[in-house]
Amino acid sequence: MKVRIALFGALRDADARGFIELDAPDVCTIATLRDLLREHLREHAPHISANLVQRSAFASDDEILHNHRTLPDNGKLAILPPVSGG
Amino acid sequence: MTDLYTAVVDISEAALDPATALDFVSDPRFGGIDIFIGKVREHNLGRIVTGISYDLFEPLALRTFEAIDARARAEIGGPMKLYIAHAKGDLRIGDVAVIVAAGTPHRDEAFRACRLAIEAVKHEAPIWKQEHYIDGDSAWSEGCSLCDEQREAEHAATLRGDVHDHSH
Repeated sequence: MKVRIALFGALRDADARGFIELDAPDVCTIATLRDLLREHLREHAPHISANLVQRSAFASDDEILHNHRTLPDNGKLAILPPVSGG
Repeated sequence: MTDLYTAVVDISEAALDPATALDFVSDPRFGGIDIFIGKVREHNLGRIVTGISYDLFEPLALRTFEAIDARARAEIGGPMKLYIAHAKGDLRIGDVAVIVAAGTPHRDEAFRACRLAIEAVKHEAPIWKQEHYIDGDSAWSEGCSLCDEQREAEHAATLRGDVHDHSH
């Protein structure tokens, strides 16, 4: 399935469009998606550190999706770097 | 819900207003009101700051504010009004970045609810701060990971005294 990952904070530097699109297996965990994203960034945005991706969380509009979760049906996610509000 | 107000406010459209927050949490039942106002300050970690840009993932930020409210209500265990608003966009020195206000029957619950809520907003809400410095440089602030495995690893490191004391 086609997955669209919205970018925020320091990860906006990974793609000026503000999102990244990846092809993922139809049944895919967040952990697998994280690996796919890391590979994508290594090729297309090598200035983004792997550590930043490791420390980032994936989320739907409603909740954080931890590593064991599977992708939402609509293929829409956000990746959230460490937060620094307030 | 009339006992909770949450908002993400685009600074190009309106400023955050403490008077509005105080008005919202005021109630004949409540003798105690605590308000926290976070403003943009002119220095951080030894560097002179000229402004801050805030990036937010709005739908999840608002849901996080609602979850924080539920937790504060469980903690307080009585009537309460809570106001949580955060700015987004480009802020200058002195601009209000965040307001949390709690109204409760007595001061103790108001202080506790307000403290709980602002700490949770800072550590759990999907909000990112980019500082702009006087030399023209900019940097995204180091933050708190929302990833479970990372949080546990970083918590363990904090207990060992290695990193990240949550003073931000």
